[in-house]
Amino acid sequence: MSKKEKILLKASIVFALLLAVTPAVNAMHIMEGYLPASYCVAWGAVSIPFLAAGFITLKKRLEENRKSITLIAMAGAFIFVISSFKIPSVTGSCSHMTGTGLGAILFGPSAVSILGIIVLLFQAVLLAHGGLTTLGANTFSMAVAGPLLSFGVYKLCSRLKVNRKVSVFLAACLGDIFTYCVTSMQLALAYPSESGGVAASAVKFLGVFAPTQLPLAIIEGILTVVIVIGLESYARPELKAIGFLKEAK
Amino acid sequence: MIVVDKLCYRSKLRYVNAGEKFTFSMLTLLFCIVCRSCMLSLAVLLVNSTVTVGKGGIPLRTYIRLMAVPFAFLVMSTLAIIVNISKVPLDAYALPVGAFFITGSKASVLFGVRLIFTAMAAVSCLYFLSLNTTMTDIMWVLDRLHCPKIILELMLLVYRYIFVLMEAASVMLVSQKARLGNKDFKTALRSFGSMGAGLLMIAFKRSGYLYDAMESRCYDGRIRVLEEQQPAKPSEITLILLYELVLLAYTVWRRVA
Repeated sequence: MSKKEKILLKASIVFALLLAVTPAVNAMHIMEGYLPASYCVAWGAVSIPFLAAGFITLKKRLEENRKSITLIAMAGAFIFVISSFKIPSVTGSCSHMTGTGLGAILFGPSAVSILGIIVLLFQAVLLAHGGLTTLGANTFSMAVAGPLLSFGVYKLCSRLKVNRKVSVFLAACLGDIFTYCVTSMQLALAYPSESGGVAASAVKFLGVFAPTQLPLAIIEGILTVVIVIGLESYARPELKAIGFLKEAK
Repeated sequence: MIVVDKLCYRSKLRYVNAGEKFTFSMLTLLFCIVCRSCMLSLAVLLVNSTVTVGKGGIPLRTYIRLMAVPFAFLVMSTLAIIVNISKVPLDAYALPVGAFFITGSKASVLFGVRLIFTAMAAVSCLYFLSLNTTMTDIMWVLDRLHCPKIILELMLLVYRYIFVLMEAASVMLVSQKARLGNKDFKTALRSFGSMGAGLLMIAFKRSGYLYDAMESRCYDGRIRVLEEQQPAKPSEITLILLYELVLLAYTVWRRVA
């Protein structure tokens, strides 16, 4: 073995070990302190219109029916809890659901934007997933972009009369993948590569997180379908009450 | 069930005025990410860890374990920053692979190291807040900062119900485990999914009960809770101010120099 080959071998062993002791792979929250201050502010500002829209819808919903406050709060707690449990995974590392796709399908993307920022705040403070300075960026990728896409895909599929299970799967899975792409873009914009700029950097971030995020997206899709099937068979009246089953009947 | 939440109720700094703790951690966090220097980050990391472990009485082992939570993200993203694939080798290291090089420049390696320090210091600021301040106290601070009432109301309810739902969920998970619900991958997926569905049903039902209970206790759109807050001590305020001024001075000096 030449010297360089030895170094390469050692580096790959170290890399493998690092990945082997990986404590938890959560749905790509950007960690506390990882983004430069200007980006923290900018992403926060980008999320504000969506949060404002969510806030207005929420207010209207509460004025129409004050009872919905407990339901919405429960939905928030549900998203937090479902994302804090380990889910079965293929690779043996423990990963977590995001739950926002399910939330968007059931409650609409505007409610999820506000719930999302609350859940992200709790995740940051109670679980150290994500952070306070990166709250804006994480809100944009997880509580705005992902759920919006999930909702769009779900609506499009039901317009096209696709089987509901398939559309739920696609919505949750694509929402997750989109979140992962947006997060990679956020990181790439903040840290452009020395050789090739933002695009090359985006490819690197996408590549680094792909092995954990792609299987996760598929598992999230499957789990969301199983949950929706379960709900359809046991909780029809509740689903009608939140407007999920309206168009089906 | 949530380690941080349990520990913060036991912290010896729990009854220190929440506004003080919030200002301290937020200002320090700000200087950390604005300054981005190894020295400042290391100092902040040390101070925060000493205060949280020494003064707050959080067990050191737990603290270290908690600090390792964002480790995976840190390693992977920093690798993505300092490792490049390019046709020309850069100055720090270069491993030839075919026609390309896995390479990085000294500047980027230094940058990566600095980023790791900054991020770890920032995490310690976050933990200082969350390990010594209860969630209800943080909400009290947010209320003082004029966070919209509806949001606070939702936060309060979400926070309370996280624990109720978590307990329900773990009961279900235990009983699934006892019935070989995780015997293979397919069963595990189905079990987790049905736990989710069951949990959401419980959540729906409970939300109805909760509203009835609140209504019967004259709920009028606002949940009033008794708030007890120790007044801020002048000596502590002075100490915090001095510390932050030092950080500010260092940051300004770094920026100018």
